[in-house]
Amino acid sequence: MTTMKRFGALYAMMIPVVLYFLVYAYYPLARGLQISFQDYRLMGTHPYTGWDNYRLVLQDASFLDAFVNTLLIGGGTLALGFAAPLAIALSLNEVLRSWFRKTAQMVLYLPHLLSWVVIGGMWIFLLSPDTGLVNVVLVKLGMSGPIHFLADAGWSRWMLILLVTWKDMGYNCILFLAGIVSISPSLYEAARMDGASRWQQMRDVTLPQLSGTMKVIFLLNTLGILRIFDPVFILRNPATASKVDVLMMYTFQRGILEMKIGPAAAASFLVVLLTFALTFAVRRLIRFDEV
Amino acid sequence: MKTKPWLAAAMAAALSASLLSGCSGADNGGNAASPAPGISASPAAPQKLRILSANVGGKTPEENEKFEAALSELTGMDVTLEKPAEGYDQKVLTALGSGEKYDLIEGSNLGVLDTFVEQGVVSDLTEFVESSAVLSDPKVIPAAEWEQLTDKDGRIVAVFSKFQGGTMPIVRKDWLDKLKLSEPQTLEDYYEVLKAFKEQDPDGNGKDDTYGLSTSGLYDIQGFMSAAGLKYRYVMEDGKRTIPYATDAAVPMYEWFAKLFKEGILDPNFVTNDTAKMRNLFLTDRVGMVTYWDAWVGMFNSLRQQQDPSTAFAAAALPPASGPDGERIMRRGDPDYWFVPANAEHPEAAKQFLEFWQTEPGIMLGSLGIEGEDYIKEGDSLKLTDIGKEHNMDHGVPFWYNENVKPPFGKLPGVQEAQDLVKAHASLELALPGWSDAEKIVQQYALEAMSGKRPTRSSGCARSCSPRS
Repeated sequence: MTTMKRFGALYAMMIPVVLYFLVYAYYPLARGLQISFQDYRLMGTHPYTGWDNYRLVLQDASFLDAFVNTLLIGGGTLALGFAAPLAIALSLNEVLRSWFRKTAQMVLYLPHLLSWVVIGGMWIFLLSPDTGLVNVVLVKLGMSGPIHFLADAGWSRWMLILLVTWKDMGYNCILFLAGIVSISPSLYEAARMDGASRWQQMRDVTLPQLSGTMKVIFLLNTLGILRIFDPVFILRNPATASKVDVLMMYTFQRGILEMKIGPAAAASFLVVLLTFALTFAVRRLIRFDEV
Repeated sequence: MKTKPWLAAAMAAALSASLLSGCSGADNGGNAASPAPGISASPAAPQKLRILSANVGGKTPEENEKFEAALSELTGMDVTLEKPAEGYDQKVLTALGSGEKYDLIEGSNLGVLDTFVEQGVVSDLTEFVESSAVLSDPKVIPAAEWEQLTDKDGRIVAVFSKFQGGTMPIVRKDWLDKLKLSEPQTLEDYYEVLKAFKEQDPDGNGKDDTYGLSTSGLYDIQGFMSAAGLKYRYVMEDGKRTIPYATDAAVPMYEWFAKLFKEGILDPNFVTNDTAKMRNLFLTDRVGMVTYWDAWVGMFNSLRQQQDPSTAFAAAALPPASGPDGERIMRRGDPDYWFVPANAEHPEAAKQFLEFWQTEPGIMLGSLGIEGEDYIKEGDSLKLTDIGKEHNMDHGVPFWYNENVKPPFGKLPGVQEAQDLVKAHASLELALPGWSDAEKIVQQYALEAMSGKRPTRSSGCARSCSPRS
C-alpha cells in the first residue's frame, strides 16, 4: 500500500500505455485466436469449427510453399542483415577521419528512412533490363546481355535478401557503432601496451565486448523474419510470386483478397507460434540470458 | 532483461494478428434473405443515406464534400459519401467485419460479390429491380445485362453503377499511317506491324528507342491469344472447368511472344510494368501498341491534345486477332456495381438512390460532376470549367447504359469505335473459387515462356498448369 502511494503517479502514467497495448495489441490477438476456430462470415453467425481452419491451412500446398520461401528469404536476410552491418560498423570504427565516418553513416542510414514503395520503385528502375543503371554498367563491363533481376525466378529471392539488407543496414550499423563506442578505452589501451595490432584489437577486444549488442540485434532480427511482408508485396510480380510469396503474403491473400477470414486467422496464429518457437530456439542457441 | 524478448515476441505476435483486427467486431446478425427493415426518418427530417464508394464522388476530399452536398440536394436526402483515398478493399472488409452500417457499397469484382453473397452480406434486390419503372426499362439497362449481377439462385444482388467496357490492343494510328501499314487483322499482321514499329523509327528521332508492344504482365494479352481461340481464366467444357491458357493450344502463342521478346519488339520490362508505366511508354512515343481499356483510347488522345493541340498523336482501338474460325475474343471487365448490405439502416433510401443514379441528373453528376464546379449552364448548353476538363467527365460514371441520356459533349476521340468492338466481341471472364492459386501457376509459366526463359514445348506447362478439378 505504501508503495502504491509512493509510486502512484508513476503507475497512473503507465495506464495509457497499458491501455494502448490492451486495445490495439492484445484484444485483436485474442479475437484473432477466437476467429481462427470459427467459420467466420462477414455477417451472420460464426459457428465454431474446431481445428478445421488449421487443418485447411496446413494441408494447403500454397502455405507450405510460402513457409519454405519465408525460411529461405528470412534466413538469408537474417544472416546477411547481421553480418553486413557488423562488418561495416567495424570498418567505420577504424576510420580516423570523423567527417568521413559521419557522412558514411548518414548515407547508409538514409534508405532506412524511405518507405518500401519508394525503395521498390527506385530499384525496379535501377534494375530495369533496358535503361537500368545496374545493367548498363554490367553490359559495359563485358556481360553478354542484361539480366532482368526482378523478373527472373532464379534471382528473385537473392534480390529480396540483398535489398532488405541494404535498406536496413544503416540502422543496424548505428546500433553496432553505439555498442563499439561504449567499450571502455582502457581495454584498447591495455591491448596496445601488450603490443596488439589493429586487427588483434578488433578480434580480441571489440568483438568479444560487442557480443551483448550482437545478441540483441540478432534476436530482434529473428523476431521479424517470419513477418516479412512490405518488400515482398512491392517487389513481387507474377513471374516470381511462387519463389517469393511468404507467410504474411499468404495471410493477406486469403484474408483480405479472398475474404477467407478463418483460415487467414489460423495462418496468422501459426506465424505467431512459429515466431515464439524460433525466438525460443535462438535464445537458447546464442545463450541470450548470459548477456 | 530476461522478460524483454518475450515481450517483444508477444508484440510480434500481436502485430501479426492485428492484420485481422478489423474483423474483430461483434456479430451483426445480418441476414441476406431478410434484410433489416429501414428505420424511417421523421417526416420533417430528410431520409439519411450512407454510402461507401470507390470511384463515385469528388476527385479530392474537398470536391467530395461538394459532391456529397450536390447528391443531397438532387436526391432530397441527407447523404454521407465516404470515398477512401486508398485501401478500398481493406476498408470494405473491415467495415463489414466490424458491423459498420452502410446503406450502399460500391464494388467492381464479381468474385468478391460472389463471396459477399455466400457470406450473407448483400440484400436481395430482385423484387425491387423488377418492379422499378426505371431499372426494369431495357432502354435504361438492357435486360440481358442483369445476368452479370444475378447470383446462382437467380437473385439480383446488385445494380450497375456505370457501363463497363473491355480491354483491347490500342495502336498508334499515326504511326501506322506514317509507315503505310494497314490495321492488323491476323497474328501475322500484328507481327509485321509490331516489327515495323521497332525497326522503322516511327517517331522519326533517328534513334532505335521504340518498342512494338508493351504490356503489364499478362494484363491483357487476350487480344493476341484470340488468334488461338483461347479465353483467359476458366472456361467450362462438358461441365468441367478448363484453363485454356494452360493447354497445349497456348504453346504456339507463348512462342510468338518469346519471338517478339527475343527480337526486342516486346518491351523487356513487360513483367514488372504496372499499367501506369505501360501508359507512360505509350504517351511518350516509346511504344506503338499497348493493351488497355476502351475508355483510355479517348484519354490517350485527350491527354496528348491537351499537352500539344497540334500533335499528330492518334490512338485507335484494334480488333483482337482473328481465331482459327474467324472468331475474335475480347475481355470485358467485371461491372462496377452498388449493393445494399444486409445490415443497411436505410434500405429504402438506398433503393431511391439506385433509381436516381440511372436517371439524367444522376448520370450528369456521375459523369460531368457538380454544376458550378465542373460545368456551368449557359442557356440551354453546358460548358466545362477548367476543373471539369481536368476531371475528364468522370466522377465514377464515364459511360452509362441509359440510352435516353446522351453525352452532352460526345465521347472522346476513338472511344465510340472502341466500344463498338467491345459490344461486338467482348465477354466476361469466368471467376471461380481457387482461381487465385491457379492464376499464380499459369502466370509464372506463361511469363517465363513469353520471356524465352522456358522452352515452351518441353516446359510441361500444359500439364503443371492444368486445373485441379
